[in-house]
Amino acid sequence: MKRLKAILSRVLEIDENTITDETSPDNVENWDSFNGLMLVSELEKDFNVKFTMDEVTSVKNVLDIKKSLRKHGIELHE
Amino acid sequence: MNKIREMISLREINGISDYVNLYKDLEEEIKKGKFQSTKKIKIALLSSFTINGIKETLFVKCCEIGIIPDFYVGDYNQYAQEILDPSSGLYKFEPDLVIIFVDTRAILGDQYFLPYQISDEQRKSLADEKLNEIRVFIEKIKVNSDAKILLHNFEVPLYSALGILENKQEFGFIESIEALNTGLREAVKHDGQAFIFDYDSFCSGIGKQNIVDYKMYYLGDIRLSLQYVPELCNEYTAYIKPLMSITRKCIVLDLDNTLWGGIVGEDGLEGIKLGPTPEGRPFWEFQKYLLSLFNRGIILAINSKNNVDDALEVLRKHPNMVLKEEHFAAIQINWNDKISNMKAIAEELNIGMDSLAFVDDDKSNREMVRKALPEALVVELPEDPSLYLTALMKINDFNTLQITEEDKKKGKMYAEQRKRTELRKTTTDITEHLKNLEMVVTIERADSFNIPRISQLTQKTNQFNMTTRRYMEEDIEKFSNDDNFIVVSVTVEDKFGDNGITGVAIIEKGDDKWRIDTFLLSCRIIGRKVEETLLAYILKEAEKEKAKLLIGEFITTKKNAPAKDFYKNNGFNLIKKEDGKELWGYNVKKEYTPPSFIKVAVKENKT
Repeated sequence: MKRLKAILSRVLEIDENTITDETSPDNVENWDSFNGLMLVSELEKDFNVKFTMDEVTSVKNVLDIKKSLRKHGIELHE
Repeated sequence: MNKIREMISLREINGISDYVNLYKDLEEEIKKGKFQSTKKIKIALLSSFTINGIKETLFVKCCEIGIIPDFYVGDYNQYAQEILDPSSGLYKFEPDLVIIFVDTRAILGDQYFLPYQISDEQRKSLADEKLNEIRVFIEKIKVNSDAKILLHNFEVPLYSALGILENKQEFGFIESIEALNTGLREAVKHDGQAFIFDYDSFCSGIGKQNIVDYKMYYLGDIRLSLQYVPELCNEYTAYIKPLMSITRKCIVLDLDNTLWGGIVGEDGLEGIKLGPTPEGRPFWEFQKYLLSLFNRGIILAINSKNNVDDALEVLRKHPNMVLKEEHFAAIQINWNDKISNMKAIAEELNIGMDSLAFVDDDKSNREMVRKALPEALVVELPEDPSLYLTALMKINDFNTLQITEEDKKKGKMYAEQRKRTELRKTTTDITEHLKNLEMVVTIERADSFNIPRISQLTQKTNQFNMTTRRYMEEDIEKFSNDDNFIVVSVTVEDKFGDNGITGVAIIEKGDDKWRIDTFLLSCRIIGRKVEETLLAYILKEAEKEKAKLLIGEFITTKKNAPAKDFYKNNGFNLIKKEDGKELWGYNVKKEYTPPSFIKVAVKENKT
């Protein structure tokens, strides 16, 4: 989780401590569509995975990102 | 400007999002006036798709090299309108550089997917039509702007519906795009304002299979995968650097474990690794590449802690040494520290520290030089010698926007200079020394052959330059076609070789008063009284046309101290002095004696 939070914080320029499962484009001003795509790019590079288009479009919040990562075999230690 | 670099160096940059965030911070600091630079560039980005991220990344890359950029990003797929409409935002922005990134999909439209629904002939005329369209774009920009144009060529696709039969067609799909690229290259080959960015090669370098992330392409119309945007911007800086006169002229090389494997002081001449063996080949080929840089005019120098006799023996006697003594313009082989040697080399070659690139396998040496001499470029050599060559090939700091004949000879000319200096050491009297050089100075009117070089000298000469006025080729051409102006180039030859065109004068003729607009000499020939020969020529011309007063201007800059006292020392009287600008006058009737030991040839080939 540390790694995921670090990436989210870096890309979206938010404080790691404020990140929860419910963090989403609705409550993060910076999380627009381009930043969303940059986030995908950074996550894929960092965790060495490739998301499907479906996964990307269905992500509504941080919890969804975690679920997708888990599906790709990434265990996030919380 | 060092402050801005410091801020960047403190940030960890892993990917595009770091560039985007850093961009925001830098822009804010610049707005607040915290960072300043004399180097500013206005860049217009035009493209056929969403180019989010390029502006931000390129902004940071410019700041890294000391340039504060300003951007204009054309609206989504509006490039044609922007270019064709003289009152568009593009031209209002008055860019210095226009980057046009139109991709293959956009230019071909449906033909990209369904190329074989039209005939070979139709495809041929489509390719011609597209080429003409782009040529018109280039011409339109040139009419409406002085900006340099950087035009992407087109990625040649990997796939064709015809599969293995693709290259059996009369004029196939793949061939049509290749033809378009060839046509573009031909169109700007002799154009000083427009340049092709070889995007097809860029894509190959990364791997065409990876260049597009299709998910991103469908979701956000992103046609270059975001992770490669920094690399693309890096390639752009190869053009921006010479445009902003940021060009490294000289590569300073270490010897042991850099030009050859092993340590000559310990392993001996026979023991070092250099030549066609597995361990010797990386160094051998590294030297060959350095020689090719020398051949395009890059100056080479040695900075080595070594016993000078051991090292020179390798240079002179090793059978596989590609670089010989004659290739080095300055040789510092001693037990001094690397920093003092760097300074000595810069001084000997009469070039700024910001013209040097330092290549050394030793990490601590590199660190030391980087800290002490931040203006010098320190090349990060990898641990493994087999990677030296690619590391050096990636450096894009040696570019110029044009290569003149002089450039190609430059490496050789500097090496000849070293021999001249050696001669000076043996003759103590300076006049005696200059006499021994047997100089011949050729003064020639501007014509199509020397105009590129004349313009280049006005752009690059900082030290012996009375007014430091920078002129483009077009400006020089205008002057040379104007009867009120005289534009001459100065070529200096001596017994060691040809220095090429190394001086320029531009004179505005009036009825009584003539004004020297530009008077400069390349640093290579400062102190050889060529300037006096040139002045004598101007005075003679003025006398011929019955002018009474010759006016010389001196505009102080940070770098032109060597030119400061020239008019004073040559019988001019100070007329006026204000705000770092001096006006000097010389009564044309007053006799002027140029140095007798310089032979002068005047060529009046006015075009």
